[in-house]
Amino acid sequence: MSAPLLELRNVETFYGPIMAIRGVSLVVEEGEIVTVLGANGAGKTTLLKTASGALDSRKGKVLFDGREIQCRDPDWVARQGIAHVPEGREVFPFLTVAENLAMGAYNRRDAAAVAADLDTVYRYFPLLERQRGKMAGYLSGGQQQMLAIGRGFMARPRLLLLDEPSLGLSPALVGEIFDIITRLNEEQGLTILLVEQNANVALRVSERGYVMEVGGMVMDGSSDELLASDDVKEFYLGKKDEGVRGRRRWKKRKTWR
Amino acid sequence: MTAEPVYEIDGCDTLPKLFLKKSRERGARTAMREKDFGIWQSYSWDDYREYASRVAFGLLSYGLRRGDVVSILSEDCKEWLFADVGAQLAGGVVNGIYPTYQSGQVEYTLTDSNCRFLFVEDEEQLDKYLEVAPALPGVERVVVFDWKGLRGFEHPKVVAFETFLDEGSAYGEGRDEQLDAIVAEGSRDDLGILIYTSGTTGRPKGAMLSQRYILGQMQLAPDYIRMTGSDEILTYLPLCHVAERIFSGWLPIKQGATINFAESPETVAKDLQELSPTYMFAVPRVWEKFYSRITTAMAEATWIGRKAYALALRAGGRRADRLLAGAQPTIADELLYRVADWCVFRNVKKLLGLDRAHSLASGAAPISESLLRWYLALGLTVDELYGQTETGVVTTTRKGVFRQGTVGPVIPPAELRIDDNGEILIRSPYQFDGYLNLPQKTAETIVDGWIHTGDVGELDEEGNLTITDRLKDIIITAGGKNITPSLIENELKFSPYIADAVVIGDRRKYLTCLVMIDQENVEHYAQTHAIPFTDYKSLCARREIVALIDEQVAAVNSGFSQVERIKQFRLIDVLLTAEDDELTPTMKLKRSFINEKYSTLIESMYGGQQ
Repeated sequence: MSAPLLELRNVETFYGPIMAIRGVSLVVEEGEIVTVLGANGAGKTTLLKTASGALDSRKGKVLFDGREIQCRDPDWVARQGIAHVPEGREVFPFLTVAENLAMGAYNRRDAAAVAADLDTVYRYFPLLERQRGKMAGYLSGGQQQMLAIGRGFMARPRLLLLDEPSLGLSPALVGEIFDIITRLNEEQGLTILLVEQNANVALRVSERGYVMEVGGMVMDGSSDELLASDDVKEFYLGKKDEGVRGRRRWKKRKTWR
Repeated sequence: MTAEPVYEIDGCDTLPKLFLKKSRERGARTAMREKDFGIWQSYSWDDYREYASRVAFGLLSYGLRRGDVVSILSEDCKEWLFADVGAQLAGGVVNGIYPTYQSGQVEYTLTDSNCRFLFVEDEEQLDKYLEVAPALPGVERVVVFDWKGLRGFEHPKVVAFETFLDEGSAYGEGRDEQLDAIVAEGSRDDLGILIYTSGTTGRPKGAMLSQRYILGQMQLAPDYIRMTGSDEILTYLPLCHVAERIFSGWLPIKQGATINFAESPETVAKDLQELSPTYMFAVPRVWEKFYSRITTAMAEATWIGRKAYALALRAGGRRADRLLAGAQPTIADELLYRVADWCVFRNVKKLLGLDRAHSLASGAAPISESLLRWYLALGLTVDELYGQTETGVVTTTRKGVFRQGTVGPVIPPAELRIDDNGEILIRSPYQFDGYLNLPQKTAETIVDGWIHTGDVGELDEEGNLTITDRLKDIIITAGGKNITPSLIENELKFSPYIADAVVIGDRRKYLTCLVMIDQENVEHYAQTHAIPFTDYKSLCARREIVALIDEQVAAVNSGFSQVERIKQFRLIDVLLTAEDDELTPTMKLKRSFINEKYSTLIESMYGGQQ
């Protein structure tokens, strides 16, 4: 059996004295889309930042294709084939769309292939091509999200880390972006680790998922299993049994099974 | 038969009479404290009586008659005791319901007890009633302690506690003498409370406890249960369990100790540290938890810390062993212990919140001897109490007398004898009056005045009782050997990585067991040993964790004879909560239920297909 593309083993990451993730383990196989669900503050972003090298873990290992990559500089990690699409897009606002995309390919020297990939991005996001000369800061939120994904893709990574791509977007746009995420996976063979609060869309595009809570994993399983779990239904899909009075306010104790 | 001893405390023969008298005497002294938005608020004995009287008047205004059942479905809180004492002042009988019960179980006890009035904690508990309300026409009023989240909610039977109290005050205007008269009419033979025993098999049974029972238990302090008027107590076990009712309800009324409500079941460790009670009762599970916490903390300590702890424990252990052998510690032992205490144990006790405690007690389940020895090494004597809902506390270990493994001699006027098949029989003037609506079961339990406890035990020449096990739990192996599983289980639970275990082997070739791991400590172990896992199930499935438990089991096995050794074990890979049927409300695994539910897993240990 070959090593999984990404593996986290007992990773602990701190912000100063505060332990943000306390011993998280996770596996992403080549070719998969894997979702990590979690409420605000659960440690999802910290998890991605630790994987991409933006944060150093204090304990545990991050293995990429079987090689240890924890506590390395983010630019080194990026060169190994991991692209991080951060939360809140973080496009370069004063650069044009085309320049932003070029930044994604900063480490690449094969001009022909870069040009071909640029075409691919424009094929997926025709909107970006039309706005290629516009400053990124002037794009709408949805367009910026597309740009951020496109920029990540321009590095031609083996693994794309996506941090809450649905954040602040209209349901129609969310649907569109997730369609493209699925296509990137299927057509380009891109492995994706997706962090989301929108369980409904995320679990529909992914094969497997994890649930994080206060810095630890509380559940893992196939997306279908997670969608069927009572706790996921109540806490992430908002489908709760309204109770006898029709307006239940108290929360059930979570058991995650 | 000898004449029954008169049960009176200060001229009072019922809890309501004693409560009125004592609370008036104590006046503005603090009776209880409870946190409100994180700040401790005090309530005096006058407040206690004031609230309880308003509850009594409220219930009287609804037409409560003597002997009517009032139920309380709530976590511990001051309102719980106000309702408990208030209902008894008005002549009612109080039935506490475990807040972890589901609506079906709530319906059963409410129907069985013929409950007329119900107190519930909040909207969550209220919903349990509402789900089954149509099936409960006998419940006339439901009072909700905490109205949060219910604004705009209307139901003809449901009322907020505040409103209910106001109604009580209005009704009570000028009726103080009437209430005094009702209290004065009460007699010690009146039913005081109902306790539904969690019942590992079949439906829970409602044990009827009279005022005589209550007064009899109150008499135990301060001679047998060393609680005094200046003690600070933490209230954290369910008040519907007879133990917490004795320690937080009845004894403080007699002695005047101050009770402090834990903020929630999850914060007990923090509350304990903050409060540092002077008297502490706990169930073995809690004592085990304390030990595990210190053991894991020490495993992480610096080299010097670990060394110091090991040395201190050796010094304390030597002194403990001498005490347990019935000898005086030598001066050298005593001196070394003092040094160990000053350097190490002092901090351990502070960390646990036991640094002010003058007395500790354990009861409600068997406790491991190794655990008691550890506490003794720290210089803490944990008294063992033995009793059941049906009997009350009937034996206790005596101060300064160390007899390892025994629960001490019987407390007069209770009498104790062992019958031919080893069962412990108990008779006392204050024992329970039988099970509600179950004459058959009552007749099986009380035979010729003696309560058949269902426990097997032995008496030594000094009259100290040793509990062997539950009669029905004793395992007879296929080889015909009698084995007491609780002895083995207790040693297993002594491991910081094992929360609970059930030993199996009745009519089998060898013993096996199911283990529930201690989530916190095992996760910690996995983390420090870089064993990747995601959820509880995956943790239980890790080879390394199974190996860890295997080590623990092997260590326990080494202390037992060949036939008493565990040959196989399996981990229960579902994280159980108090709401699950597998656990009692005090978080013990239910043997019979486990046997049934995990039968395939059990068969797999005997060569069956999993």
